[in-house]
Amino acid sequence: MVRETYLQQLALLKESVLSLGELAEKILHDSMESVINLDLELARETLDLEPKADRLEYKIEVTINDLIALQQPLAGDLRLVVSALKISADLRRIVGLSINIAKIPGKIEGGHLKPLVDTRRMGDIAEEMLANSLKAFETRDPDLAKGTAALDDDVDKLFYSVWVELIEMMAKDPSIVSKATHLLFLIRYLERIADHCCNVCESVVYLSTAERIKLN
Amino acid sequence: MTEAIQNVANPQIEVKDLNLWYGDKQALKNVSIQIPKNSVTAFIGPSGCGKSTFIRCLNRMNDLIKSCRIEGEVSIEGKDIYGPGVDVVDLRKQVGMVFQKPNPFPMSIYDNIAYGPRIHGVNKKDLEGVVEHALRSAALWDEISDRIRSPAFSLSGGQQQRLCIARTMAVKPEIILFDEPCSALDPISTAKIEELIMNLKKDYTIVIVTHNMQQAARISDHTAFFLMGELIEFGKTRQIFENPGEKSTEDYITGRFG
Ligand SMILES: Nc1ncnc2c1ncn2[C@@H]1O[C@H](COP(=O)(O)OP(=O)(O)O)[C@@H](O)[C@H]1O
Ligand SMILES: [Mg+2]
Repeated sequence: MVRETYLQQLALLKESVLSLGELAEKILHDSMESVINLDLELARETLDLEPKADRLEYKIEVTINDLIALQQPLAGDLRLVVSALKISADLRRIVGLSINIAKIPGKIEGGHLKPLVDTRRMGDIAEEMLANSLKAFETRDPDLAKGTAALDDDVDKLFYSVWVELIEMMAKDPSIVSKATHLLFLIRYLERIADHCCNVCESVVYLSTAERIKLN
Repeated sequence: MTEAIQNVANPQIEVKDLNLWYGDKQALKNVSIQIPKNSVTAFIGPSGCGKSTFIRCLNRMNDLIKSCRIEGEVSIEGKDIYGPGVDVVDLRKQVGMVFQKPNPFPMSIYDNIAYGPRIHGVNKKDLEGVVEHALRSAALWDEISDRIRSPAFSLSGGQQQRLCIARTMAVKPEIILFDEPCSALDPISTAKIEELIMNLKKDYTIVIVTHNMQQAARISDHTAFFLMGELIEFGKTRQIFENPGEKSTEDYITGRFG
């Protein structure tokens, strides 16, 4: 096989993106657990993971720089490099938003206003979207990517219904405004995370088919 | 050929079922392609796949090779160039060629360019204008206008290659064939020739063989991939380099073989 080093670099790039993805999955999952159970210990452990995401993002960027400068990738390889750059930025944003979520338990005193049923559902769907978009990236599966992005509608619907519910609660009882605002931010973060998963899915479609499409 | 172009708009060169043998070795197999006017078409593929052989068919340079036998059709502007009554000298005036190694004649810069037009009957008083125009078109004039009576061999390799391009243009061809025109040149000279080729397509149809993938991607509008005498894929350059239809094209341009 010619271009041994090159093929190794491409494989390393894909692996690094998947590692960042795995880390994002863990951070999202644990941040949701920490906020639902108001588990400060888990929240703190989760916050400590952010520098690891920075290191992975940096490693991906350097690998991409080297590939472009030294190897001039083309065709499917070029699409891998371009999509890896975009996907890693989306994953890093997902990590950032999840870190915001993990900061919420420290700000909520006493218990939650109400059981977080719909919010937990939003988190579950966002986690599913993240897992499937990474799987679609790993296997270059445009159909899985499109199906995954379609879940964004469910997240949006839940976002609006919880939002309306919280606004109504605040209107009735202004003393809960502080607690409710944290929950508003929480659902906003989850909604944004789902949007970034859709971006990952768009990159996967481009990677697999060279088509540039907008998913929702 | 998946998703490939079968019919291009405004084809200037049309090749149909072209087969070519050197003795009993077949070097081109059923090649059909249409090359559009006023654009750059690049031919890529591993060494020995038939790129040079193919472009030599476009101005009948293969006629000079004894063992060579050709079947099929090549027409330019609708006229069969292998048909009866074709004047090969006129054909090669219409279809000029620039080779890998710059090959100036052992004479002055001026005479290198004036040589063709003189043969084709341009008068003496017009000759100077023709030479200057050709040197300007080849982006060489500014560098050498003060020494056009010096020997062509006093020029650098890159300048010699641009001189050969100027010499080709001086006889006013419609099509210029380039066979790896930059492979003997340094990066700066290569960049100058690439820039030149991109400007030339306003006035000429350009066909270029290159081993430099990035060069093909940079300067061509269409790209054809050859493998073992066959045209595997032909399409818009952007598509060939972003999302080729054939696995062998992808394997070749990404350096997985070849
Ligand atoms: N003058 C010739 N006589 C015999 N065989 C030739 C001649 N020129 C080229 N060939 C053969 O034809 C095939 C295609 O060669 P060529 O057109 O030079 O390929 P490329 O330009 O793609 O490297 C090769 O196998 C080569 O050896
Ligand atoms: Mg050749």
